[in-house]
Parts: sequence; structure tokens; C-alpha cells
Amino acid sequence: MTGPEELGWRIQGGLAGQSGRALWRSLDELSREPAVLEILRAEFPGMPDLADARVGRRRLLELMGASFALAGLSGCGPGEEVDKAIPYVTMPSGLVPGVARHFATAVTRGGYADGVLAIHQMGRPVQLEGNPDHPASLGALDPIIQASILDLYDPDRSRTVLHAGRASSTNGMVKALVDRLPALAARGGDGLRLLTGTVTSPTLARQIAALKQHFPAMQWHRWEADGRDTVRAGSVLAFGRPVDTVLHLDHAKMILTVESDFLDSAPGHLRYARDFARRRRAAEDGRPEEMSRLYAVESSPTLAGARADHRFAVRPDEVEAVVRALAAELGAGPAEWRQGAPGWLGAIARDLSANRGAALVHAGPAQPPAVHALVHAINDALGAPGQTVSHIEPVEADPVDHAQSIKGLVADMAAGRVDTLLILGANPVFTAPADLDFAAALGKVPLSVHLGTAPDETAVLCTWHVPEAHELERWGDARAFDGTVTIQQPQVQPLWGGWSPQELLAVLDGETRPDGYSIVRQSWMERLQGKGDAAELWADTLRMGVVPDSAAAPVSVSLLPGLADRLPPAATQPNGTLTALFRPDPWLRDGRYANLGWLQELPRPFTTLTWDNALLIAPATAQRLDLKNEDVVEVHTASGRLRAPVWLLPGHAPDCVTLPFGFGRRIVGRVGRDVGFDAFQLRTSGNLWQQPGVELRKTGESHRLAATQHHQMIDSPDVVRHATLDEFHQNPGFAKRKEPQQSLYPDYDYPRNAWGMAINLNACIGCNACTAACQGENNIAVVGKEEVLRNRQMHWIRIDTWYEGGAAAPEQTLFQPMTCMHCENAPCEVVCPVAATMHDADGLNVMVYNRCVGTRFCSNNCPYKVRRFNYFNYSGDDNRLSMSWNPDVSVRARGVMEKCTYCIQRIRNARIAADRENRPIRDGEVKTACQQACPAEAIVFGDLNDPDSAVSRRKASPLDYGVLTELNTRPRTTYEARLRNPNPELQEV
Amino acid sequence: MSASPGTERDRKRVVEPGVTARSVTAHVSDLVLERRTPLWWWVGFGLSFGLFGLFLVAVGWLFIRGVGIWGIDWPIAWGFAIANYVWWVGMASGGTLISALFFLTRSDWRSATSRIAETMTVFCVACAGIMPVIHLGRWWYFYWLFPYPNTMALWPQFRSPLHWDFVAILVYVAGSLLFWYVGLLPDLATLRDRARRRWQRVLYGLLALGWQGSSQHWCQFRMLYGLFAALMAPLVCSIHSIVGLDFAGGLTPGWHETQFPPYFVFGAALSGFAVVLMLVIPLRRALELTGVITLRHIDVLARLMLTASLLLSYCYLIEVFMPFYRGEQREITVVTSLLTGYYAPWYWAKIVLNGVLPQILWVRVLRLNRPLLFLVALGVVVGMWIERYVIVVGSLHRNHSESSWFVFVPTVWDWATLAGSVGLFLTGFFLALRFIPMVSMFELRELLHKKKAEGGR
Repeated sequence: MTGPEELGWRIQGGLAGQSGRALWRSLDELSREPAVLEILRAEFPGMPDLADARVGRRRLLELMGASFALAGLSGCGPGEEVDKAIPYVTMPSGLVPGVARHFATAVTRGGYADGVLAIHQMGRPVQLEGNPDHPASLGALDPIIQASILDLYDPDRSRTVLHAGRASSTNGMVKALVDRLPALAARGGDGLRLLTGTVTSPTLARQIAALKQHFPAMQWHRWEADGRDTVRAGSVLAFGRPVDTVLHLDHAKMILTVESDFLDSAPGHLRYARDFARRRRAAEDGRPEEMSRLYAVESSPTLAGARADHRFAVRPDEVEAVVRALAAELGAGPAEWRQGAPGWLGAIARDLSANRGAALVHAGPAQPPAVHALVHAINDALGAPGQTVSHIEPVEADPVDHAQSIKGLVADMAAGRVDTLLILGANPVFTAPADLDFAAALGKVPLSVHLGTAPDETAVLCTWHVPEAHELERWGDARAFDGTVTIQQPQVQPLWGGWSPQELLAVLDGETRPDGYSIVRQSWMERLQGKGDAAELWADTLRMGVVPDSAAAPVSVSLLPGLADRLPPAATQPNGTLTALFRPDPWLRDGRYANLGWLQELPRPFTTLTWDNALLIAPATAQRLDLKNEDVVEVHTASGRLRAPVWLLPGHAPDCVTLPFGFGRRIVGRVGRDVGFDAFQLRTSGNLWQQPGVELRKTGESHRLAATQHHQMIDSPDVVRHATLDEFHQNPGFAKRKEPQQSLYPDYDYPRNAWGMAINLNACIGCNACTAACQGENNIAVVGKEEVLRNRQMHWIRIDTWYEGGAAAPEQTLFQPMTCMHCENAPCEVVCPVAATMHDADGLNVMVYNRCVGTRFCSNNCPYKVRRFNYFNYSGDDNRLSMSWNPDVSVRARGVMEKCTYCIQRIRNARIAADRENRPIRDGEVKTACQQACPAEAIVFGDLNDPDSAVSRRKASPLDYGVLTELNTRPRTTYEARLRNPNPELQEV
Repeated sequence: MSASPGTERDRKRVVEPGVTARSVTAHVSDLVLERRTPLWWWVGFGLSFGLFGLFLVAVGWLFIRGVGIWGIDWPIAWGFAIANYVWWVGMASGGTLISALFFLTRSDWRSATSRIAETMTVFCVACAGIMPVIHLGRWWYFYWLFPYPNTMALWPQFRSPLHWDFVAILVYVAGSLLFWYVGLLPDLATLRDRARRRWQRVLYGLLALGWQGSSQHWCQFRMLYGLFAALMAPLVCSIHSIVGLDFAGGLTPGWHETQFPPYFVFGAALSGFAVVLMLVIPLRRALELTGVITLRHIDVLARLMLTASLLLSYCYLIEVFMPFYRGEQREITVVTSLLTGYYAPWYWAKIVLNGVLPQILWVRVLRLNRPLLFLVALGVVVGMWIERYVIVVGSLHRNHSESSWFVFVPTVWDWATLAGSVGLFLTGFFLALRFIPMVSMFELRELLHKKKAEGGR
């Protein structure tokens, strides 16, 4: 018999004098005794999960020489224990305190993988950076993936198995499933259903295929609320089979986008942004003929539209007409489609066809299948396949139409044909089309098991909820936009226990103690076996973060004839009516990231809104309807109604409104509660992306919206400079201004390094990745909506947005990242009475938090307004786990000023490394967090003393200019002015 | 009571006929020593103390939560606290100007009003001194602004206007307090000598520092007082100049103006005279001092207020003119925004209250109409607060960086701190009314002696 006292004694005995690794071993040993398990379960409902054996994982750790020991220690305690630091008794070998280690893995977004490097400090991941070897990242990361580290440490994550909403045990859940298996097997799996989001994991696909062998009647349903059904359907329409299309923007000289997401969120968007930006910067590098030209046709503004040389805001129903007309112009459609084409289309068509083989057209997922099919036809006519686009086997495993899939599932559920439902990582109760009423149908399923990282709307309605191990906590695999596979390796022991989807599926295979490691390894060892030492290859693959040669093979497809006849009729919109456009919120996507403070507070491009979604409407349409910002309207559609605040968005197409979904989560952690409105309530399976016949009724109420920029001037100020390519040729130094640079004081000498930064406005796409990266790197606090309303957000780098040329159809949308300029003559320094801000030996304008008394004069005196003040104890009030902060950066307390430091901690680390090797710091050795994350390579940082450094070369460009230099601040951060490449034919019009 | 025309001699009379050295001493010291505390004092003190309580609550909550309870934001990182500071320190100038500057000019009207004015200064300076400290994000380190020797060899930034300001206010607080106290010594001794109750004798005996009235005492007293006056008169100019430099030293458009030092001195003088008037007008009735605080005093103070208003109005003109003259786009933006933008109501209120309304004081009849004069002075005091508010907030809200333009919206705690500081001032002043002679008895005796000598001639 083992009593509780004895158990306690044994656990203590196991701890005494042992390292973290040994702790696990002793818990493992303990946990194998059934009696101990029973006691544990009685005492701590979540404990048995933690005590689960993961022998394979440990073997790998030994193989890798990676030290997860501390992670094991800090991550092993149940619940609240986690943020108590436990010092080492014996230091594990190979771990140096304060020295970061990098481990490659991947994080998925809508199923598609982005390769990341997890940066570990003292054995725990504290930050994610892009994996330079991964084709979808190339070292960059978008805000969502960056925030997944916050997701990992989210204290609101699920911690225990729930049965009918009450804490239960893993074994109970496993038993419930396993007990059902014989009956299911007898029926051939009839009544067994799987529901997932987009799956690209080869292992999951293999498992599901194997399950289908056992249970031939089992069905696998898919639902991704911001999925790419239309893209898939378009390729089926065009080619008769689904293919994925990969863009080669590095080869593209002429680009037309149709509300394209290639810079915002399309799989591979980080890579696309880099390729695109490189072509945009060609002129300043002396190759003006290579600079690409971008046309955009869209209803709801996209980042691509903001970067377009010619952007046309077009009503949603006219978009398809434009594409049809273009197809006709280029000989890819019947001539009658040309009727009613806008005047500007001819010039675009001529420009595109003049660049055959170097032109491409891309449409976003919100466009109907017909547009996608037409785009394929146009690309074909432009000779794009093989040049600027290539078609590959679909990356999604077993692609199906998600809308049909979930519709079928709900119909079967409602009819009682589903008796066991496994929902893996999806939240259909919140995201499924409103007309289906998933929640009601779910009530008719006798056994539903939901696997999710946090309690959500679906979790509480399922009979079982199983905590899902975060992607950074589990074994898995996933494919990128081009099919490249990354094997995901856990970065930390599951903080709150948790299962991977692969493990849960294995239970259906009869495994009661599935092991994610061996499941994933099994998928790959066969492939690796033929190529040499499999174990070594496996280790190499993990180290690299990419499975070599795993990109999907290009497929050769040809257009099916008679496309014109097969196209479904285009949607029409009677004049005077409104269409609602459903679009994912850029950061919350389908709502799954709603509990991440970084994303809630990250300004949305264009609107700069935080902590809310708003009904976006063109200023002209708003004027017609007598609406102004923050007015609350009631949106009436055939399927229901909704109250939403209004936000006027320059450049939005007339006669339509955008309803961003992903907000309004009802069952969510502390951060995401009561934020925004739920646009899913109006989204029906028949009208997933646009709903015609919408009526707006004023309520007379208003709702305060927390925007971070209040003056988006039409006619941008002198701080953001730009010119056309022709103007640049005539006057290459157009961005320069003559300014007296005099000072009473002699110049300082910076003999060692003089750090500086150059930001290329030609490259910047306004994606906010830098802001998010800076927030993660520098422990920047989240302040909440009330504080943003008071304009007290803390971001050290912000994206200023400017328009030019009228609110209805701005000719230009200009983005300018703004951060501390590290002025040589810093106005902040002379006014600080306690000298808390000053220059250091490398010319950095440093901020000494300990010395700051908080007079705030520095902020008043900063012409760039880049200093941020801790009005309250923001960091202390944050509920994030203390272990999730970056230990290299001080967490600021109440009452002190803070601002960009040029990531001084990274400079110091490089300095230490260089000093140890007795050499200067190499160019590119220090990358600031914003620079690291930027997909467009807009930000370059380095030593100005070195004339050959990347930053010095950039600053030598004629486009280089400083902001507000007339104040004689002599900023260290300068900008390269933006160049436009307009079509002369259209300019004259 | 309407002004009696009277002769030129009547108009200049600073002491009514029938007032003697003996009667002045008896009346003023009886107010403190013998008189029962009147009802109006209890009411006034009660209200003031209530407001003071509000101040304690507001500051207590501030200490617990941080400066975020105020409406300050980004980019407007300074708000009420700084406006309050400049306002209070400006009003304090009234006492110093009257008692120091007009001591040096040997103005005969000064004697009867100097004590009221100086007492006002002391409590205004107290309010002013608190504001920049509680304004700090980490107020508990306020002493870091002082260049004290420390083990880390850290010095303040001597180039920072805030450091100059810290030194200036420190000197001014110390100077005003000592000047006031030194001037009180002979009267404290009088109270000690006339007191009948033991606690009064002990209290005033201690405070009088052994004043005997010997000729040696008087000789040294004269010298010290004269030195103080010679020190304080320029100091009142320098402190307001430095307050002006707090803003002019920054490069924010709307602040970066060379005229700020005199501008702030004029503004300070205007509000100083106004607040003295606001105290003198009711007190000469309440304390039955009409015999020694005559219409001549009212007249002089009103003229001074008018003069200061004209000087300040000139600065207001320059403030609008210069940006256009220089053609600095950002400064033009600030000015046009003040004239027509979000803060325009505040801006025009300050113009009317400080520049336009005081112009009625050109008319003698209106000047001597005490209720009206009181209202004009009140308008000036309010207007001067608005002026500082507009300078602090209005300039910051149109700073160099257009993308960060925003407005300041005060919170309830901003108002509570402002109202509470008025409570702090009034509480102190009411206590002073009860325990300190509100007219300088020895100076009046001297004045009466001089007048008698002149009259006899």
C-alpha cells in the first residue's frame, strides 16, 4: 500500500539532490504504479497527465544534447507552481546561464507552417524568430507566429480534462473512447466523425488514412473559417483538379492583385513580401528597369493595395466583371465580357501582355471561385506558369470543400447519424456558418471529444474537453506553402499537460498511452532510412527545421476548355444597396488568437484600431448614410442582425462594408473577453465572404474605439517622402533637404562603433511585424483598451500611416515605421534633470530606467514622439507568467520612461562574443528584433563607422533622408524615400 | 459703497483720520489675542479644510496608483500638475512684489497690505512646491534633482531647465518663508507682550526669538530686512523667468519662444496682484481694517493689475505675431490651432479674462467698485490658470509629429488635485488669519509717525 504521506515522501526523495531530468524520471517511475496514480488523481486532478511517461522524448533529448532540463523542472509543476523559480542544485552540463540557444521547429497558421527558431534562455523558450532556412520564413515572422510564444505561456490555457464541464481525468477520457471502439469497429466506423481545420501534417494524414482502413465508414470533416475554399474551387474550375499556386514575385515585373492577401496572410506571405520588396528596391540599387509595377483592384483595402502603383477601389460585384473584362482583353475569355469595362483596364492589359512571362495576377481567398478560375486563365494567357507562378500538388492533406464538409457534418449530427465526434483544434461552435447552428447539432452527439489549447465555445458544449499541447510543446509535423515539411519538436515539457492531435488519434487506434514522439518519428524514419544513417538524418532534420527536398513537386496542369461556359453567374448588386464583406481580422483570424494581448493591442493596418473590430466603410458611403466614426449601427441581413461601431476607412470601395470576424468571443480567457462584435453571427454557408442586401440602421449610440493614430492626413507631411521613378531619374536627390547642421558643442567621437539604422520605405509593407517583434523582445507591456483610449500604448516602434490624394480613392497609402532616432543631438537628453537619458560610448541614446524619476520632459521634447511612459504599473498588472518575459531586458516599473534601445541587449551579447574572440563585431552580427522580423528587409542596422556595412551602404543611397532634421537633431535612424512606378498611360488619365 | 470723489489729498490717503499708533496696535493684536473666533472664520475654515481633505485623498490615490490617474497621455505628458504649479508660483509673486519691490521704492501704501500679501505668498509657494513633486512618475526620488554628493558620483543634468527650476523654487520657498518670518518678528514680540493667556505668551514668546525692541535689534532688523527685500525683488523675476524657460528650453512648437521669461514674469505679476486684491477686499471689511486699508490701496492694486494686464496682452500679441513673422509652419500650426481648434474656447477665455476685462479698470469709478473689482480679479486668477493650461496642453497637442497628435482630457482626479490645492492654500491662510497679525503693526506705527511729522510741518 502506498499512502499519500509515503507518496509525498517519495516525491521529495526523488527531488533531493537531483537535477530536473532526474525529477522526471522519478515521477515517471512513480506514475507507473496504479496505486500512486489513483492517489494523484484524487489529490490533483491534473497530475496524472503530467506524470505520463514520455520515454521517447527523453531519448531524443539525449540524442540532441539539448538541455530541456530546466524546462522540465519549471514546466513540471501542476498549476500555480510554474512561475516559482527553482534553482539548480547541480548544473546540467552544456547549459550556460544567460546564453541563448536556438531550436528549430515550426508553428502553423491556418494549417500552414512557418519555420521558427525558438530562443531558449535557461532552458525555456522565450522568443521566436524566423528560421532562415525555412522557405516560408527566410528568417522573418509575422505578428501572429511571434505571439504564439505568448499563447504558450497563456495562463488561461486548459489545464485539465473536462467531462461535461467538470474536471476529470485523462484516463476517464481514454476509457470513454476506447470503450466505444468495439461497437464502432463492428459498424465499420459508421457514426465516427473527425473534424479538423486545414491539415497539412503528413503524420496526421497518415494516421487518418490508417484509421479509415479500420473504420471505412468514418468521415473526416474540415472547417477553417478563414480557409481557402475559393482558391481550391477556382483551380478545380480551371484545371479540373485542385492545385496550389506558388508565386515567384522575384520574377514578376507586372503584377495585378485582386484583393490579394499575398502580403497580408496568404501561405508564404513572408516570402512573397521579401521577393516583392527586392524587386521594388531594384531602382535604388541601380536597376530601375527591374522595378516591378503593381496594380490592385479591391473592395476592402489590403496591404498589397497600399503598395500598389495604381489602386482601384471597386465594388465587390464589379470585381468579377473587371477580371472577366481583363480576361477578354488578354484573349482568355469571350469578347462580350469587355462590355462596360472601366477605362483604366485597357492600359493595365497592355502593360501585362507587354511583359509576357514576367507578369502575374493573383486573387485573394475572399474572391469567388470564378475569379480564381479566371485568374488562372489570365495567368496562362500571360505565360505565367513556370515563370512567375507554378502549380503544385495541394499542400493540404486530402483537400475538400470546407463549407460543404461542415454542412454535411452538421446535417448528419442533427439527424443523429453521428455518435462519436472528435474535434481536433477547431472551434466550430464559434466559427461555423451561422445558418448551420452547430451548437444545437452538437447537443445530439452522444460522445464528442474536443481537443483545444484553451477552453472555448466548443469545449464547453462537448462531452469531453482535452487540453491540447501547444505546438511548441509537442511533436508534430506540418507543411509550408510550397509543401516543405518541418518536423515540429517540443520546446518545453507541456506546461499544463496536454495531448497532441496525433496522440488523440492514436487512441482511436486502440493505444491507451500514445506517444507523440514515436508516432511522428514513425512517419519519417521510413523516408529517411534509405538515405543513410537514419538517426543522424533525423537529428539533422530537426536541427535544420526543414525536411530536405520535401517541397511539393510542380504539377503540369492545363486549362480545361470552355471555362466561360462553366463559370457560375457573377453576383450582382442593385444600386443603392449595401454588401457586407466578411474578412478575418488581420491578427485574431478566426478568433483563435483572441486571448493574446499582443495581438489585441497591435494596431490593425490602415485603421490602427486595437481591442475592437469595427464596421469599415468608405467615407463617401458613410456620408451618404450620415455615419461617422464610432457610431453604432445595427447591421441587418437576411440571416440576422448585429450591432457594430463604424470606422471610416479611406480607400474602401463604395456601397459595401467590411465586417471583420474573429472578435466577440464568448468563452475565452481573461484578455479576449468582451472585446468587439462577432461578425460570424451574420456569416452563412451560402455567403461566406460577401452578403448582399445589407441594411444599416443608426442606433444613435456610440462606442469608443481605441485607435493609435488619430490624424491620418490626406496629403502626407514632409516626414514621409516619395517620388515616381521618373522624378527620381530627373532628380535623384529629391528626398534631400538643405539643412544647417550647426552646434555650439563639438562632435563626439565614437571610435569603436557608431550604431545606426536605415529604414527603407520602398520595402516597408506596413505589416506591423516589427512592432510585434519589438514587443516580444523588449518585454513591452500590454496596457488594455482603456489605456489605449488615453493614448498610452507602449509600442516602441509604430507604423505611421498616411494617405495622399483624397479620402475616396487615395492615390497613395504610405507607411512609415517610427521609432527612436537615436539623435546625435538628442533633445531628450538635455531636458532630463537627472540625466537618466544620455549617449553611450557607441552613440546610442540610452535610457537608464533606474535613474528615471518620471518628469516626462524627454517625451515632450522628443520631436518624433517615440518615448513611452509607464503611467501605471503596466508590467506588474500583466497576468502573463513571469517565466515568459525575456530575461535579457529589464521589465519597467511604474513611473519610468522607456523607448527603443536599438536592442542594446543584442548589441551587448555580440560585443561579449566579439571581445572573447578578440575581434570587432562583424557586420550583420547584431540584428535588432524589428529587423529580424521584417519580411521585406526594410530595416537594416549596423555600424556607421564601417563604410562597407550594409547600413552605411544604404545611407549612401541618394534616397536617404532624415526626419525633422531641420531641428538639428541629426538622427541616427534615417529613411530611404519611397519610389513609385506608375504607368505613364494611366498617369495622364 | 461708491467712491467718494474727494480731493486729491483724500484720494492719496493711506490712513483714515483718527487712526493712531495705539489704536492700530490694539485692534490688530486683539484680532489675534482677544477676539472670539467669528462665525465666518469657522465656515470658511471648514470649507477650506474639506477641500484640503480632497487634496489628501487625491494625492493619496495618486501615490497608490501612479500618475496614470490623471488625464495625461501621449503625447501630452504634462497636464494639470504643471499648469497648477505655474499658476500657484505665479500668484505667489504678488506678495513678494508688494513687500519686497515696493519696500525698495518706499511706497507708503505698501505697509498695510504687505502682511496679507506675504502670507498669501507663503501658502501659494507651498502649493506650488508640491505640484512638481507629485507630478513625477516616481515622486519618492524627487531629491535626485538636487546636486547632492553621492557614492555613485551622479550629478543632475545641469543643462536641464527642470534642474534650474528645482533650484529656483527651492530658493524661492526658502526666501519667501524667511522674508515673511523676519518681517513678523517685531509683531510677534508685540503679541507676546500683550498676551494674557499663558499658551499665547509661550507660543509668541518662542516665535519672537527674544525680540526686545532695542535699537541694536532695530538696526540689525532694518539691515536684514532691506537685504532680503533687495534679494527677493530680483528673485521674483528670476524664478518666473526660469519657469518660462521650463517651456522655452524645450523645442516643442509653441514653447520654444524667447519671450517666455518676461511673459511669465508679467503673467505672474498679474495673477499676484489679482489674488492680493481678492484677499484684501473682503478682509478689510471682515477684520475691520478699513481705517488702514483705504481706497487708496484698492486703487493702487487695481492700477497695478491693469498695468500687468497690458504687459501680458502685449506678450499675447507677440505670441500670435511671431510665428507668422518667422514663417515657421509648425508654430503657425500651433497658433492657428489655439485660435480655432480644440482648445480655442480655452484660448479665448484667457484672452477675455486676462486681457479684455481688466481694461474696465481704466475707469476710476469701476476701479473703486469693490464687488466688481473682486470679480475682475477672480476672472484674472481663473484666466491665468487657463493661460498655463493652454500653454502646457495646447502646444503639446500640436507637436512636431503629426501622427501622434492627440488631445488631453482631464479626469476627476485632475480636478480634485486642482480644487484640493486651493483647499490647501485656504486652510493655511485661514489658520494664519487666526494666529498671525494680518497687518504689520510696527510698520503702520512708523508710517503714522511719519505722516504725523509731515502733517505737523
